Amino acid sequence: MARLIELKGITKEFDGEKVLNSIDLYIRDKEFITLLGPSGCGKTTTLRIIGGFEKQDAGELYFDGVEISDVPAYKRHVNTVFQKYALFPHLNVYENVAFALRLKKLPEKEISERVSEMLEMVDLVGFEAKNVTTLSGGQQQRVAIARALISKPRVLLLDEPLGALDLKLRKDMQNELKNIQQATGITFIYVTHDQEEALSMSDTIVVMAKGEIQQIGTPTDIYNEPKNAFVADFIGESNILDGVMICDKKVSFASHTFTCVDGGFGPNEPVDVVVRPEDVDVVPVKKGMLRGKVTSVTFKGVHWEIIVDIDGFKWMIQTTDYVAPEAEIGLYIEPDAIHIMKKSEFSGMFGDYSSFSDELDELSDADAVD
Amino acid sequence: MRSAAAAPHIVWAVLFIVVPLIIVVYYSFTDRSGAFTLDNIKGLGDYTQIFLLSVELALIATIVCFLVGYPLAYIIARQKPKMQKFYIMLLMLPMWTNLLIRTYSLMAIFDDGGFLNTLLGTQFHIIGTKGAVIFGMVYDFLPYMVLPIYTCISKIDPFMWEAASDLGCSPLSVIVKVIFPLSLSGIISGITMVFVPSISTFYISQKLGGGTFELIGDTIERQFASNALNTGAAISFAMMILILISIWIMNKFSDPEEGGIIV
Repeated sequence: MARLIELKGITKEFDGEKVLNSIDLYIRDKEFITLLGPSGCGKTTTLRIIGGFEKQDAGELYFDGVEISDVPAYKRHVNTVFQKYALFPHLNVYENVAFALRLKKLPEKEISERVSEMLEMVDLVGFEAKNVTTLSGGQQQRVAIARALISKPRVLLLDEPLGALDLKLRKDMQNELKNIQQATGITFIYVTHDQEEALSMSDTIVVMAKGEIQQIGTPTDIYNEPKNAFVADFIGESNILDGVMICDKKVSFASHTFTCVDGGFGPNEPVDVVVRPEDVDVVPVKKGMLRGKVTSVTFKGVHWEIIVDIDGFKWMIQTTDYVAPEAEIGLYIEPDAIHIMKKSEFSGMFGDYSSFSDELDELSDADAVD
Repeated sequence: MRSAAAAPHIVWAVLFIVVPLIIVVYYSFTDRSGAFTLDNIKGLGDYTQIFLLSVELALIATIVCFLVGYPLAYIIARQKPKMQKFYIMLLMLPMWTNLLIRTYSLMAIFDDGGFLNTLLGTQFHIIGTKGAVIFGMVYDFLPYMVLPIYTCISKIDPFMWEAASDLGCSPLSVIVKVIFPLSLSGIISGITMVFVPSISTFYISQKLGGGTFELIGDTIERQFASNALNTGAAISFAMMILILISIWIMNKFSDPEEGGIIV
């Protein structure tokens, strides 16, 4: 697929603080790409530069092969769904959706046809005359999507569009957005801090942190082959351990040497080792490669989430079998459950569950909303 | 509970708003002896010219205030918060000086042998013209136009600008299609707050008009000064009706959800 948008060396500072550090990224036509990262990672700024609401300090921005840094927002073939919708309160649903077409002075008949078509797509037929301020969050969201899509843009930018909706509605809207994207064939650039949302909707995920791109890949790539400790920790749950690559397919961590499937590292190179909680098998102590003591057990519905202390390092393990707290258990890890990463600036910052609690997790999630 | 809490307000309103109004109405429909009469109202026809002139000058002053005030309010509202405070303070500063003193200063500036003519070495005759009176009204009442519009614009969601330009609005059409309609309630307040004092002023017209023409405020003042309470009350009453009608018309233009404005 052709490259529709290309960012080259995009750098942006706010008040002397670098929020984007030489971003290189291309976006293919008709793809659903998600910029994913914690708050302050630069994802929204990247989106705003593409939309024309901010201008980069350095670097080039190409749209369909043409440099567009100096093209103002209103002349770009890009429309935006804003985080808090930004519907026009002085206009009703119909006029909000018709706004872009009225500016183009299209004939009334065509406007009316296209507005009906849009309202049908977002399931808001019958709401034409309603005042937008009286609508629910989900309905306002739909109006915002219809308003942005009516002028048939090449690209739709979505800035955490589902952030203000409750969980159930958010799941429904995720499906709906994906369907709209596939039906219209418009390129979607989606910004979110919600890794689950990113995994379930995207063709491509761009993981960002500290104003830099950490990894670009398909959802399965990002989950199964994280590039560094940050990505491994941010996408899903991970136990991240210090290890040493003894030789190809042999890695040592947690005082044990494991067989793995990765290679290509130097002999005895220090590495980060990722083991996903769902990939660890709980076995009787005698059969285990590692042994440890269960320090906490939490019921999660589908599985139990247990924290196991192995020589002071706390592992998170998800198991469908109940294990009693304080029990001694053995752990068994298959070779393909072990993922090896090069050391990075994020090494040692993530992946130990010793200070873990659900409460803290929720707090940091709420923190990341903005 | 609610009515009990409202009691002080009601007493206040009755004492300072309703009672004076009743007094004005009473005097309008009575003669010196206190007997009912319609003569005062019938006599209003003599003042038609003055009414029309007052409306004309107040309208022009209001329009000028709007033309100057809206861009000013817009520009201030688009500054960084610190600068906004600074500009608003600058705008308010002259209002700390008494209206009479400010008007006197204008006289000193515009007089035939005044500051301006001395400075430029010219012989412009300004005092005594309609222009001088309109200038005085604009100068004295401009902040009343700027402040409500500024407040209104500064409360508009900053994403409105981005949403509008995202959908294809040029910088000018962002203002015309989105910001202007959203600041309508501020505009209505501003227009009312300038028009009402402009139409009833007597001081500005006396000083800057140089005694060459009389506005309705002057007439009322003269009636009361010469102890013609009943005629004065009748003219006041007529003007009140006029103002009420203009406010009613203004409210027709404002967003019904916002409930319009009350002076």
